[in-house]
Amino acid sequence: MANTFGESYGLTCLCPIKNGQCETNDDDNFDLASYDKITRRRLQTLPLNEQSPFAKVPDTYFARLFILNDVFFEQGNEVKRDHLKSKYLVFTSNFHGELEPYLEGMWHNAESEIRNIWQYAVGFERVNDAASFIEYIKKCQLTTTLFFNGSTDKSLKQQLKSLYVKQVFSEFMLLNQGKNAADLKAAFKEFLQDVELDNPDSPSWVPGQTQLSPSPANTSENA
Amino acid sequence: MSNFAGKAYGMNVITPLRWWTAIWQQIIFWVVVKTFPYFVKGLLTLSLIHYARWTIINRWSFPHLDKSQPKEKLHYSYMLFESNFNGSWDQYIDSFSFAIPSGLDMFWRWNIRYPKSIPLHDFYNYIRFNQVETNHYYNAYPLAASNDVKSAQTLFEGLTELAQQVDELTDDDFLARYNNFLADHQESLGSMDVGPVMTLNPAKEA
Repeated sequence: MANTFGESYGLTCLCPIKNGQCETNDDDNFDLASYDKITRRRLQTLPLNEQSPFAKVPDTYFARLFILNDVFFEQGNEVKRDHLKSKYLVFTSNFHGELEPYLEGMWHNAESEIRNIWQYAVGFERVNDAASFIEYIKKCQLTTTLFFNGSTDKSLKQQLKSLYVKQVFSEFMLLNQGKNAADLKAAFKEFLQDVELDNPDSPSWVPGQTQLSPSPANTSENA
Repeated sequence: MSNFAGKAYGMNVITPLRWWTAIWQQIIFWVVVKTFPYFVKGLLTLSLIHYARWTIINRWSFPHLDKSQPKEKLHYSYMLFESNFNGSWDQYIDSFSFAIPSGLDMFWRWNIRYPKSIPLHDFYNYIRFNQVETNHYYNAYPLAASNDVKSAQTLFEGLTELAQQVDELTDDDFLARYNNFLADHQESLGSMDVGPVMTLNPAKEA
């Protein structure tokens, strides 16, 4: 009903995990032999931020993975009790663009991580390329009922470029306070050359970046 | 557990509702989408939100991929709420409850044991009890708040316009235009950096 909001897409997937457990497992931890526990441990040990597999997937604004063990709520005598028969790997993503190109990019940029994360998911054994991954995710997809985009509707590349420019221009403004008109104009033109407003690729922030990088404004000031 | 990614908190809440009220709820959401933003103007004032979503999972629509997978037999349908926002858990719940109490009641009104958004204490407990922790959370810009993303775009567009004029302006005219630009965009200026450490969900952590 509302998977999209402008150019942004809200993907919601519930991927059933096989019931049962491994005789042995590659994770070398026999306390975590059941498929859901192995999967959870793998999620918990994924690298974060710029090292996250999602940092490699183009146009991912936000993504998350968690295990839904069961449904639960405050019980009472008048309320019936539900229990799930499978545990579910919940995968949701907020990204820019359309679903199939996004999933294709995900497969091509993070195939090994995808295979590792979804290894024990029901039906994943039939996934062997981008097309079958798209087909698999669509089977697990739920239609988002209401999707709210509180951000801009720009591509991730544009958002990162704008954030980079915001940071370096804020520094430029501080460093150039009190300059006379001619010097300020010259410094501003040099700043524009450094930041390349019309080049969305560089210089810019990288997806998942956790540290501020040295800015051209600082560089030119120190030159 | 990693509900945080930089300045963002990822919340997941799953709550039951009767299957026939789930259908009514979907109709309400459909009306909200078609009339946006009439019923959810308050959401737009909550500038701390990057993205949020509500997904109704009918009791018969849990994905079933293979004959080897047992079919779910559930009494209730479920609503999965997911949000990406800046700040702490408490700040978010407070903001949500105070900014759009009637909107929250409209979205959750048929959920089993939903206590209404006011008084706040019961709403706190309801969300806390039904929250599921995230195991891996990714944010493309951990250094930035949602307001940074929006203001950065405004600043970028303004700078692009100023850059196109700079060669045609005398030095003094440029200085005047530059100062006006700073005054017009002062809300978009400011350095970003690593955010403060937020509290985790206190009840879950206890």
